Amino acid sequence: MKRVAVCAVAQHKCDSNLWYKRFQGMLLDVLEEIQAQTGMDFSEETGVRTIITASDDVFDARTISDNGVTDAVGGQYREEEKMAQEGLNGLGYAMATILSGHEDAVYVAGHCKESQPESVNMCTNLAYDPFYGRAMGLDYTNVAALQARDYMEKSGITEEQLAKVVVRARQWASRNPNANAQDLLELGDVMYAPMLCDPIRTTHAYPVSDGAVGFLLASEERAKDFTDNPVWLTGFGTCMDSYFLGDRDLASNFALKKAAERAYKKAGIKDVKKEVDLVEVMDCYAYQQPMWLEGLGFCGDGEGGKFIDEGGLAKYNVNLSGGMLAGNPIMIGGLYRAAEAVLQLKGEAGEHQAADVGRAVVQSTTGGAGQFHTVLVLER
Amino acid sequence: MAEYFGSKVEDIFNTMEERFLPEGTQDVDVVIGYNVSGEGGGYWKATIKEGTLKVETLDSEPADCTVVLNATAETFVGVTLGKSDAGEALSSGDLRVDGDLTILISVLPKAFRPFTPIVRASSIVESMAERFRPDKAEGVDIKIGYDLAGDDGGAWTIVVKDQTCTIKEGLDDDCTVTMIMDAKVFVDLNLGKIDGAAAFTSGQVKLDGDIAAAGLSAKLFAKFEAEGSSEIQGEELISLKCVPSINQRYATGPLMGKWFSGLKDGKFYASTCPKCGRTMVPPREICANCRVRADGFVEVGPEATVTLIDVVHYASPDPLTGKIRQTPYTALFMVLDGCSRDESFAHDLNPKDINDIKPGMKVRPVWAEKRTGTYKDLLYFEIAD
Amino acid sequence: MGKKKNRNVGIIGIGQTEYSSHKEDQNQVEMVNEAVRYALEDAKITLDDIDCVIHGNMELFEMIHQPDLWHSLGSGAFGKEQLRITTGGTTGASLVCAADNLVASGMYDVVMAIGLEKLQEGHTTGGITNMADPLWFRHLQTGALTATTATMMMEEFGEDRAKRAAMKYRIMIDKHACLNPRAHRRFGLEYDQAEDLMNTSPQLVGELRLIHMCSQSDGACVMIFASEKKAKELSDKPVWIRDHITAHREETFNCFGLDMPEMTHHYAARTLFGRNGITDPVDYFDVFEMYDPSAWWGLDWLRQFLLLEGDEHIRMLEEDEFDLDGKLPVNPSGGVIASNPIGATAMLRPAEAAMQIRGDAGPQQIKKEVKHALASGFGGTMWTVLMMLEKDLDW
Repeated sequence: MKRVAVCAVAQHKCDSNLWYKRFQGMLLDVLEEIQAQTGMDFSEETGVRTIITASDDVFDARTISDNGVTDAVGGQYREEEKMAQEGLNGLGYAMATILSGHEDAVYVAGHCKESQPESVNMCTNLAYDPFYGRAMGLDYTNVAALQARDYMEKSGITEEQLAKVVVRARQWASRNPNANAQDLLELGDVMYAPMLCDPIRTTHAYPVSDGAVGFLLASEERAKDFTDNPVWLTGFGTCMDSYFLGDRDLASNFALKKAAERAYKKAGIKDVKKEVDLVEVMDCYAYQQPMWLEGLGFCGDGEGGKFIDEGGLAKYNVNLSGGMLAGNPIMIGGLYRAAEAVLQLKGEAGEHQAADVGRAVVQSTTGGAGQFHTVLVLER
Repeated sequence: MAEYFGSKVEDIFNTMEERFLPEGTQDVDVVIGYNVSGEGGGYWKATIKEGTLKVETLDSEPADCTVVLNATAETFVGVTLGKSDAGEALSSGDLRVDGDLTILISVLPKAFRPFTPIVRASSIVESMAERFRPDKAEGVDIKIGYDLAGDDGGAWTIVVKDQTCTIKEGLDDDCTVTMIMDAKVFVDLNLGKIDGAAAFTSGQVKLDGDIAAAGLSAKLFAKFEAEGSSEIQGEELISLKCVPSINQRYATGPLMGKWFSGLKDGKFYASTCPKCGRTMVPPREICANCRVRADGFVEVGPEATVTLIDVVHYASPDPLTGKIRQTPYTALFMVLDGCSRDESFAHDLNPKDINDIKPGMKVRPVWAEKRTGTYKDLLYFEIAD
Repeated sequence: MGKKKNRNVGIIGIGQTEYSSHKEDQNQVEMVNEAVRYALEDAKITLDDIDCVIHGNMELFEMIHQPDLWHSLGSGAFGKEQLRITTGGTTGASLVCAADNLVASGMYDVVMAIGLEKLQEGHTTGGITNMADPLWFRHLQTGALTATTATMMMEEFGEDRAKRAAMKYRIMIDKHACLNPRAHRRFGLEYDQAEDLMNTSPQLVGELRLIHMCSQSDGACVMIFASEKKAKELSDKPVWIRDHITAHREETFNCFGLDMPEMTHHYAARTLFGRNGITDPVDYFDVFEMYDPSAWWGLDWLRQFLLLEGDEHIRMLEEDEFDLDGKLPVNPSGGVIASNPIGATAMLRPAEAAMQIRGDAGPQQIKKEVKHALASGFGGTMWTVLMMLEKDLDW
């Protein structure tokens, strides 16, 4: 299977209220770091000529949201395309752009500020059709709550197990300089926190976050021009589930399983439990961590709770970034997961570095209750 | 010309060709004579053969016909429109058929689409009085002129004032807007046969005066319903109107922040590129060409050289308030003194200079008296002496 | 030295709805579904043959967040891979470039691209104004309408000649549109109306008059792409994508200074033709479906795209060279001026060009054989997408 190199990654620290910077400023910080790491430029002959951005018009409150940041991502007289789903899909599309022969180096940059709109839920409410879903007041939070309830009943996962997930997330986040919520929590803090949207407690939900991330990708031939420590993108798969909640089996992981299957096939993975050392899942809410891990095949259906109790999270180095639970903006939550995986594979994860990471799986979702899933495989 | 039930006898014959249905007459070979007496009557002959139709107006009684229909004008129009019962007319002798009646009964319905009264421009205008919607006319004081060309045309002035509507013949001198078009276009617009925007864009409809008043006039009157048109009603389409609104809190960042604080002081600040020296106005974090961080500020202007001028007649509504600016207004492209030659800056022109402004002129900013560090601090530019 | 493609990609299916401003009888999902069905029918395949669906539109016009999620009800994306790429006005063309990249990469064999817009469901001018920076430019509302090109053309060629040329372009485009059964606006204009329209059509901005401006339409366009092997299996007349280029620009409309930067149209054309060894585009191409937002821009950009000098483009127009039977037919479909469902508009250009190559474009088909086609997309702050389509794999 052909592979594409991830040469460098740069993350803007996530913050719940980056009131003093606008998108262009955040993206410039990220670009400068990438340039410093790799010496890349945008020259016509040997530089980056294609940029893939990730942002959302509703969250940015701006038509053609990439239009505002073209300069800051080097887009002047260059190709720039906006990935209008969660940003992880941008890495998959960049992979295709390079494997197609159209480009040999691609810069991927995503941004989002959840603190800009008065309510993230008001934004995600707009994903629902105007006649029915929107009128009922559906948004990604209450729809996740429906899925959480279904998952909790089918899997028997307990409040204590979910609390362990959150406590652990904060422990790892406190070692990640780019994470947002770094305060440590006790089990009791989590288990007895008030309900946000039953059964999701306030402590189960990711905090509103602002951030930006950038990646430099290159073909195998050109990787050495940018880094002597590349990481390889070997698998990518996505899948779309049904739109209406009533048409879905919410706890089934239908779309995630298919996306994972497709990604693993491309990467040549036969048994994910044996061949993967590190996982980053986009856990917007605590229940999603064990549920997505089931969908990815790290444990059987309904065994998420057991997996937590039996040390599965440590074994597979799950979310050493602190995960989405520690706070990333929803439109680029997956890109932050990929950033962590890249650092881990490069051995540049500092205080949160795991030992001997050879291959990692990264996952993200777009849409309410994971209507759409994306899975990426990276290796050293 | 005599009208019966709103239609003339000749209307029925003049529309025969467009109402003809060839597919219903494939095996029909018949000549129908018409002998219509009374005011508006006359003699006609319709020949249907091999799926074609020929209609002739005659000077004398029709001859060599398969069948001849005799009636008074009133009966003829009444029966055609379905206002009078054909059976009764035949029984009473008001309608008489020479020849085989069954031919008429079997051929006519298959050969022609039913006749519906021709809508006249004058009747549409006259109906505006009853179609007027006083609830939509609060505070409205306008005169709408209609200048309709053609046989069916005429000129009318519709006066809307104090929530009442009066229709006058002729065109007043002081109409707020006059709509000029062919009478047929006017009728087709009202029947929904042609689209208003398309007719206006393609020049079929011309407006003299306040264009906005024309748009307003459409809202003041209920839709025209031709007689008989409400018999066939489509299903009502469900549509949902809503205005989603999410408040935003935008960050300026340090550079735009500097720009706005500069405006407060009556100054323009540009950011500069350390590599190419380019100035960017308003300031931007990065030089798009060199892809390096803009590292400093330089004060530019306050005067500028005008490069291009746009006189705006059609303003887009403010997306937040929906308000539309007064037009025409003039937008300027200019290069502020001290800026790089390729960095243009756009802003408005003081309305008083609209007739004198030319490219190459120097302009200077006009500041608001009280400035708070927002876009409102800079009112516009005007010609510098 | 052209780009070395991993493998060739062919267009095997095209589906379009009619374009109009009155699609109240369909919701967005139904409109997408209609175009998807047409495309599958045209390609003579089923949904099972599609590996990946890609989707794009300008969601703030309809105010739906992530509309591809809702549209999955009609797009056939259920259970499939799906990506969404949006680049403003160029979206449709970017989707074609993306499909090309996705199939050429070897990651997917058959990709279906969907571009759509339902402008009647939102406020188009409001939506376009929202493109500007919220703190500064949005209030100036110079929007998408400007007469700067008209002003510069009148300065360069003389007021009378420039105005006549713009109107001739406009009428020529309308004549093409009248042949296209799907076109939104077909006025039936005649050349002898030029004088009247030039002087009486209401002014929008300066000499940019209502008659010159493009449409605002509802509609959807779907195209299906396949790898060379699959394309030859599934279709008897695949149209090949030879190469494409995109050129974006910085955020602001600041290109009206004392010196003006190179336009992205020109940059894209010289770069694309340069790397493909094409020195005379007027001679090489048999048709050009150009994204023309207005008659003035359409006319001006012919010079940019075709790398012409002086008044060559005006002369060619005056000598009917851009007509259907001219040297280089431009916009046989009626262009953007006739139909503009923004998310799909830039896809219509390669779609109509591909149909010309296939020979089944309908009443607007060019009579001479069409082997080499050029198609462009436009959007944002003067962005360009430019692509080359070929009848045969012989470049």
